[in-house]
Amino acid sequence: MRSFNHYWSLGIILALICLLSVPGLCWHSQQIRAARATYRSAMAPVILVPGSSATQNRFNQLVKELNTQTKTQHSLLRVEVKTNNQLVYSGAIRRGDRQPFIVIGFQNRADGLTNIRKQAAWFTIAFRALQKTYHFNHFSAMGHSNGGLILTLFMENAMAKTGAHADRLMTIASPFNLEEANPKVDTPMFTQLVAGRQHLSKDLVVYSLAGSQSYTGDGIVPFDSVDRGKYIFQKQVKSFTQITVSGANANHANLPENQQIVRLIRQDLLD
Amino acid sequence: MAKQVSRFGQWAIARELCWRKRQQVRVVMTALRLVFPLVLVGTLADLVNRSWLESTGYYYQTLHVTSWLLRRTRLQQGVLLVQTGALGLAVLGVAFAVSYLLIARVTRQTSDRLMGGGLAVLALQFLNVNPATLRAGRPLDWTAMNLGLTGLALGIAIGLLIGNLYGWSVKRWSQPSDVVIRPLTLGTLGVLLTALLGVLWLMRAPLGSTTGLTAWLRGPLTGASGWGSLLGVSVLNGGLAWLGVLSPLPSTPQQAAMAAQNLATVLETNSWRLPHPLTGQTILQPYANMGGTGMTLGLLVAIFLVTHNATQRHIGWLSVLPVLGNFNAPLLVGLPVILSPILWLPFLLAPAACLSLSSLCLALHWVPASAYAFAVGTPGPLISYLGTGGALSALGLASINLVLSTAIYYPFVKWAAIAEQRVHEEAISDAKL
Repeated sequence: MRSFNHYWSLGIILALICLLSVPGLCWHSQQIRAARATYRSAMAPVILVPGSSATQNRFNQLVKELNTQTKTQHSLLRVEVKTNNQLVYSGAIRRGDRQPFIVIGFQNRADGLTNIRKQAAWFTIAFRALQKTYHFNHFSAMGHSNGGLILTLFMENAMAKTGAHADRLMTIASPFNLEEANPKVDTPMFTQLVAGRQHLSKDLVVYSLAGSQSYTGDGIVPFDSVDRGKYIFQKQVKSFTQITVSGANANHANLPENQQIVRLIRQDLLD
Repeated sequence: MAKQVSRFGQWAIARELCWRKRQQVRVVMTALRLVFPLVLVGTLADLVNRSWLESTGYYYQTLHVTSWLLRRTRLQQGVLLVQTGALGLAVLGVAFAVSYLLIARVTRQTSDRLMGGGLAVLALQFLNVNPATLRAGRPLDWTAMNLGLTGLALGIAIGLLIGNLYGWSVKRWSQPSDVVIRPLTLGTLGVLLTALLGVLWLMRAPLGSTTGLTAWLRGPLTGASGWGSLLGVSVLNGGLAWLGVLSPLPSTPQQAAMAAQNLATVLETNSWRLPHPLTGQTILQPYANMGGTGMTLGLLVAIFLVTHNATQRHIGWLSVLPVLGNFNAPLLVGLPVILSPILWLPFLLAPAACLSLSSLCLALHWVPASAYAFAVGTPGPLISYLGTGGALSALGLASINLVLSTAIYYPFVKWAAIAEQRVHEEAISDAKL
């Protein structure tokens, strides 16, 4: 009896430990899921996608310009996706660089709805390969012209399967309604992008930049087509900002070198 | 009971009794017991706040508190009020009590005792002003109430200093012409002196001194990633807690970076071969810190294994909930472990033994290192299981560590109980005389 009285308190302590451990044991599987969901890799590259006709060297000047304006020098890796899905690399990511630039270009860089869809699929192949090599799970992206469409298609259709999270997206003169100037006409590209908008991340911050050489567009892309971005991103992503740039270098081809846009990239895409 | 005590035990008990017969020590021990209720309430509030109401808490995450608890922010404000008030008052209280009790040993005049206690509180306040708020027309920010448990050692030190100085003055001026004249004079001089010291202290840029002290204490933690350096961290943590600095050493950016790299390896490669297998997070926290600094959970279990120790058991029952959430301040203050020579050795030895055993098991790849961040308030034995993503071997090692630490504590707790009983008996016989 004395022994029982002596040890019952010890039994209560051990029972309390077990009781308080029950929530933790039940929560254990959720803990791993939560850790994976909230985990962000140290590396968060800025992925740049050029428009049609442009190669993976399209942003060499832009990266050089940005590196002169920032304290941290960002390395540059260029990837070309061949039509047979093979990847050709040039440049390198410096060890310890947490925000390198990665340009993804395509061997078939022709314009047109079918080609843009193909380029989005090739982009996914390159993205998966880069993710496997560099172990990043979040990134920011900038697409010039059709590059913006490729990135939007990727984020709507393929990104969820990669497990990656897009932090920020900047589209520069991206024709969400292709070259259609008539505001009453919806192209198949626009219809597809609107149909897939619910797959866009609620945490994504989007900037849509438009060039204004004339009062109706940047010389190639109609202003209304860029403006259509609001029907895709607005009320879907965390924030959506539209900016119109005019003045020198405001025509479609020169926009990535436009000083206002370089400043916006430095300010909004780089940490 | 005494017949069963080994020679080393008898020696340890004798040293404990010798130590506790010292006037200063006896006063500090009494003062610690006096502020125990405040420390208990403040620690319970701290436990509720950090484990139930903050997003990094164990119950917050496991019981999905946000989905059913209404007015959480308001509740948190109330809990923080209780926590800050109780712990702040405990620091001021210990300074007052130490000074008061020291003066009580040299004079029977209540006014002298109260004046000495008040001077100690005032001195503590003067030393804890936020210099940034020292501007004309702005309310002054007294930080003494925000010291928390870290300030307990400071409270003891100030109490000892003021109490001894006042006591010395009373001895020198033993027969004043009037009972009020001495406390009035000594009080006025004391206030002026503490004010002068406070001003001098502020002029010496105390923020710089505090930063320097913190940097010095954090030094060994910076990049601690080996058995030796972690042992040093464990001993330093234990030593400071034994002296009354009850908050553990803060984590350094290097430690946080290593923890992030470990987690990245697990999540990105699904491999448990971590780049930093021996860090505070992988070893110290899950395997050598159950119940708080010093493997206090082992101490708690040992208390309930020992017989004829009613006081220890009483303190143990009162401290059980905080200790199960790794908040050990009430147990360290109540027993007390603070400044107790007999419990000093196991307090340092138990975590060191657990750390060494766990490091060995990790080196032999018998258990994986803990990579997932642990939630505040997780019951000690479960930290390693959750930290390793559910490895049963980690849970097994944690259980072995608990048994090991209990075995280390057991004889010392028994001897401490005997010493306590003898102190009590001597106090009764002194009272009869």
